[in-house]
Amino acid sequence: MESATVTLGHAEEHEHHGPPEAHQSSSIDRQTLGIFLFIVSEVMLFGAFFASYFFLRVVVSPESWPPEPYELPKAVAGINTAILVSSSFTVHYALESIRRGNRTGLKAGLVLTWMLGAAFLFIQINEYVHLGFSARDLGFGSIFYSLTGLHGAHVFVGLMLLSFATIRAFRGHFGPAAHDHLGVEVPGIYWHFVDVMWIIVFVTVYIL
Amino acid sequence: MRISEQAVFRWVVIVGVAAVSIIVLTLLTRPLFGALWGLVLVIVASVHGCRWIVRKRREF
Repeated sequence: MESATVTLGHAEEHEHHGPPEAHQSSSIDRQTLGIFLFIVSEVMLFGAFFASYFFLRVVVSPESWPPEPYELPKAVAGINTAILVSSSFTVHYALESIRRGNRTGLKAGLVLTWMLGAAFLFIQINEYVHLGFSARDLGFGSIFYSLTGLHGAHVFVGLMLLSFATIRAFRGHFGPAAHDHLGVEVPGIYWHFVDVMWIIVFVTVYIL
Repeated sequence: MRISEQAVFRWVVIVGVAAVSIIVLTLLTRPLFGALWGLVLVIVASVHGCRWIVRKRREF
């Protein structure tokens, strides 16, 4: 039944010239709209955490930030940032590959992205172990772990989505047509969002 | 309006370049200047985004 619907949808994609189907936009498909709306809600969630961060830092703040004697490992976080930014390029490469019908490129891109994401998470957990302060240590500790932990949870979810996409890619799913690789495109959009949020978290928490 | 991975990836690159400029300015001067530059970039991006939305509404 489902395959019949999908086949009909593809046929209409090529032959349909009139107004869009009922309850469906002609400019965006439902899956992409869904992830877009989800990301909008996530931006608001991160916004609340950033508001707390700036409130603690600017309004409640002690003289120095981070408060003495705490120090943040900027170099390690910088390397982690480079790893996560690279993973956005690899997921983009995976999608460009499948758009051109290159299945090997799709698989390689997805596996590389997954590995880079896992490396990011591993380094962050390792950083937590060696930081020398906990979430109980002042408002600084609480907001640091809340903000970076919230992002880490998003990376974990992104890795789950990428795992599904990778398994499907190795099982022969996905194709060059736009509707045939939504299962990679939607996790790809989510992964880019996670990447952009980390860039903002890194600059705000570690650099400024 | 097209929302696709390609469009979002472009934003990753734009945000990345903006972040590099903030990091360089902060490391060369003081965090305050980096924060101010970041604020300027956010304002410019917001104005640009508002104009884009108004233009798209007129097209529809």
